[in-house]
Formats: sequence, structure tokens, C-alpha cells
Amino acid sequence: MSEETLISPEMAAAVGREYEWSTSYPIDASDIRRWAVAMYYPEQPPKLYWDEAYAKTTRWGGIVAPEEFNPFAWMRAEPPGNMGPEASRPWPELNLGIPCPDFKANIFAGLVVNHTGVRMRPGDVIKSAVNLAGYHEKKGRLGLMLFTTREDRWTNQKGELVRVSRSDLIRYL
Amino acid sequence: MTNPYVPSVYIPPTGVVVPKLDPKTVKVGDEIPKLNRYGDYQLWNRYAAVNYEFAGHHMDDSVGHHEGFEAAIGMGPFIHALLHVLLREWVGEERGRVVKVGMQSRRPWIRGRTLSEGGKVTALREENGELIVSLEVWGDNDKGERLVIGEAEVALPA
Repeated sequence: MSEETLISPEMAAAVGREYEWSTSYPIDASDIRRWAVAMYYPEQPPKLYWDEAYAKTTRWGGIVAPEEFNPFAWMRAEPPGNMGPEASRPWPELNLGIPCPDFKANIFAGLVVNHTGVRMRPGDVIKSAVNLAGYHEKKGRLGLMLFTTREDRWTNQKGELVRVSRSDLIRYL
Repeated sequence: MTNPYVPSVYIPPTGVVVPKLDPKTVKVGDEIPKLNRYGDYQLWNRYAAVNYEFAGHHMDDSVGHHEGFEAAIGMGPFIHALLHVLLREWVGEERGRVVKVGMQSRRPWIRGRTLSEGGKVTALREENGELIVSLEVWGDNDKGERLVIGEAEVALPA
């Protein structure tokens, strides 16, 4: 008797493939300021994120974005009109062109982000390349849970690596 | 039972003056000052507005109920983003930087509960002219339940 699994042969064969590419609009100083206000609310955010004259006196030489800043929110420049996975379905099978397993619900499970030290600044354009890093399954209180790990690599317009993130999504029946 | 209604004009007190990381005295076992955030729509909607994150269970108690929660729930990526704020307030955003933040979810952040994030130094090393400080990080609610666990690294010029 075969063991219960949500991972089809097509899904297993797709591990390691890149399946999503995006380019941000140029980062605006107002994007950074608004992000910082949201992150530090109800306190005032540090001047590094909104006062250019002050930021020039720091080791960063000007305004930089907080490391966790997302330049892809509110539409991407490429593909045109794309609102990103936050606005749609964060699982990869549709983009990979393979059948999606049946499931009832999905939840965010975890995220690891490595920042290289290359900061995002006003005017930067960030490219994202996402690959399917893996699938695994566990049995838990939700029953059989399918973990999907995606790896997202961001580079700037100079080709410098800005960050690498790995995120886990759980789907369950 | 649902949480009591919280007026939208309510702004709770958060935090105190935060001591900064001192590379001369930092040691394994040191705890860093906590970051507290009251979970309500005032806070979450600001994050939704910059991250385009408008799932119903973050915006509406009834959707949270439908999905089995006591009320609306906070965004996991926002809890992760706030770990960056926690770390920067300690290292000093003008002199140091966040190198890594890893986080795993354990429980949802229910509306009306205060998230309290903290961290403890687990290792120190020098690498490429920087002092790298490794930490265990976490986030609890005001009932003492652990919502997230994780690990992080920050760097200062050595």
C-alpha cells in the first residue's frame, strides 16, 4: 500500500527550478519614508530613513531603506501590472505549469532572510528571482501538512546581491 | 470568547529608552531590550498599506472567526519585520546593520494582544572587519504564550 503524500512526481521533479522573475519600479525616498513610519509606529522613525541631510552625515552617506523593506509592493515594473504573490496565490505550481495538489487552507510557517550588507537606496531597481527550494511533509494536528520552501534572491541594478530569503508555506487538507 | 473592542484612537505606551549594543562589553547571555507593539488595526493597517497585504483575516474579525481564530490576526511577515526593528534599536541603525533574521511561527498574533519581542546573545565572532553578534529571538503575547521563535545576526564595524 502506498504512503499518503501530496507531493506528485511532477512536483518532486520541479524542485530547484526558477519560476518567478520580477523587477521593481525605482525605489522612491517616499516609499522608504512611508515604510519606516509603518515599522516604527507609534514612535517616530529614525532620521536615517527620511532626512537626507542628516543621513549624509552617517556611515551610509545618504538615506537607505530598512533592511526588511519590500520594493515590490504596489505592483511590479516587470511583469507589467503584476501585484506579486502577496496579492495572489503564493504557491508555485501554477507558475511551474504543473498540477497543484488539493488542499483546504494555507498558512505562513516561517522566513529566513540573509542581508548581504548592500543597502537599498532611493533610485535603486531591484530584481527578484524565485526558485522552488523544496517540498517536505509532516503529520501534525492539522493532519498531513505540505511544506513548500521558496528561495528568493534580490539583486540591484549593479548586479550586487542584496538579500536571499527562504520562506515556508504550509498547506493542509 | 472574543477580545474586547478597542477604540481606534487608543495608542498604548510602548518601550523605553533603549540602551545600545556596546562592542567592548557585549557577552553571550546578554538580553536585549524588548520591543512591544499592541496588535490592532491602527498598527496592522499601516503595514498593510506599505506591503500591500490585505488578506481578510488581517482586516476583519469575522474572517478571523471563520478561519478558527478568536479575532483578526497579525501578519507573519510583519512580526518578522518587527524583529528587524528590535535588533536595530539595540545595534543602532546608523552604525550597525542586520545580517540575518530567521523566524518560525508557533501561534497567531490575535487582535487586542500585545506582541513583545526579545532576544539573547548566543555567540560573537569577527568576520571581514565586522563584529557579528548572533542572537536567539522570540515574540510572546501578553498572556505569556510564545508566538514565534528564531535566530538572528547583527554586525558592527570591528
